Amino acid sequence: MTPQSEPQSGRLGGFCRLYSVLLYAYPRDFRLQYGAAMQQVFRDRCRDLARTASPMGNLRFAIHLTADWLATTVREQAAAFWSAGRKPVCRGFVTEWAVALGMYLFVTTTLVQAFVIPTGSMEGTLRVGDHMLVDRVTYAQPWPLGARLLPYREIARGDIVAFLYPEDIRRTYVKRVIGLPGDRIQMDNRQVIRNGHRLTEPYTQHIGAYPDPYRDNFPVAPEANTTPRGREMLEHHVLNGEVVVPPDMLFMLGDNRENSLDSRYWGFVPRSYVVGKPLFVYWSYDAPTNDLTEWTLGHVLDVAGHFFTKTRWERTFLVPRSQAAQEGGGS
Amino acid sequence: MTRPQAPRELLPLTPPVFHILLALADEERHGYGIMQDVARQTGGALQLGPGTLYGCLKRMLAAGLVEESDERPDPALDDERRRYYRMTALGKRAVRAEAQRLTSAVMAAKTKLAGGII
Repeated sequence: MTPQSEPQSGRLGGFCRLYSVLLYAYPRDFRLQYGAAMQQVFRDRCRDLARTASPMGNLRFAIHLTADWLATTVREQAAAFWSAGRKPVCRGFVTEWAVALGMYLFVTTTLVQAFVIPTGSMEGTLRVGDHMLVDRVTYAQPWPLGARLLPYREIARGDIVAFLYPEDIRRTYVKRVIGLPGDRIQMDNRQVIRNGHRLTEPYTQHIGAYPDPYRDNFPVAPEANTTPRGREMLEHHVLNGEVVVPPDMLFMLGDNRENSLDSRYWGFVPRSYVVGKPLFVYWSYDAPTNDLTEWTLGHVLDVAGHFFTKTRWERTFLVPRSQAAQEGGGS
Repeated sequence: MTRPQAPRELLPLTPPVFHILLALADEERHGYGIMQDVARQTGGALQLGPGTLYGCLKRMLAAGLVEESDERPDPALDDERRRYYRMTALGKRAVRAEAQRLTSAVMAAKTKLAGGII
């Protein structure tokens, strides 16, 4: 291919390089004959999309392209396998599938991870049974070279973050970041006061639960439901009736504020336990919490029988947004 | 490699093959030109991905439905050289036969459904 001199050639060039790598999943003969032309077509399409600049259009194109790639690599590999079936082709078949498998493993271990929302603590924003993809890159601890290449970002207040549950790291939880290191947090009648400012949080949901002095006026009136980590926080990190977030820790709360077990009960989340940023819901299925944490035979049968009726289609490709709370005056 | 066959043996054509042939009915086009024309024909319903497009072209070349024309730049896009494709006589007969087949299918549907179902 001849090099392009385009105004937006930086990002376009990146996508084209990515696509040229994806082409390696096709059989060698097919790639040699049509690879260059396919790259041309890909670039033309990207340029047309860049002209319209619609985020939904881009997402649709990405999904469509992935589906096209998956389907046609399988088809062309099968065609190459059956048409010749002789040894040299066979070897190419194996190496090319090894490349495809390697890329799949790379993507699923370092770039994204799939997980499911098991509980209703973020209800209002995320629902029980939302299956999501988590972007593992954005909040990763940057390494010197990667910081220039990848879109790293520091965690900010109001971000929705997936993390390992500190009391049992086999589980992944999702909650909203309320306090960063150094922040002073307290609650007064269900309202968060951060560093002396009352927060107006439009994303929260207050479902009329019975009043609970600890939950609503954290951290006064210590109560029994806290875990050992929670008690450690109350003993060592409370100053003048406020919790002070220590270095390299985060204070997380659920959006369904009165029905959420969160940092109020089990303490801070270490920064290194952060898994990533929830990207979008790829499948939302109406099922109880128990079925979502473990795949049982009953759940498999349930999905097989009710896939179309119990899937919440309107939630597919829903993107949760991080949202900053408005800080009111001092109190 | 394959000898010319009766177009009837090639039917039914898959939707991508049918629309690619239609795209080449009026003039020869390069890959992206075919893609755009297919999207126009179908009102955007059929967007061919690069893999689908060239997989189909490969099979259509082997079946003798299309042939490669020369390689030349498209002045509307940029100065890069592109491979153009044109329809063969067999391709023309096949797309006509497929259109005929689809017409009779639509007619059959109309007579069946005219009885008050829709």
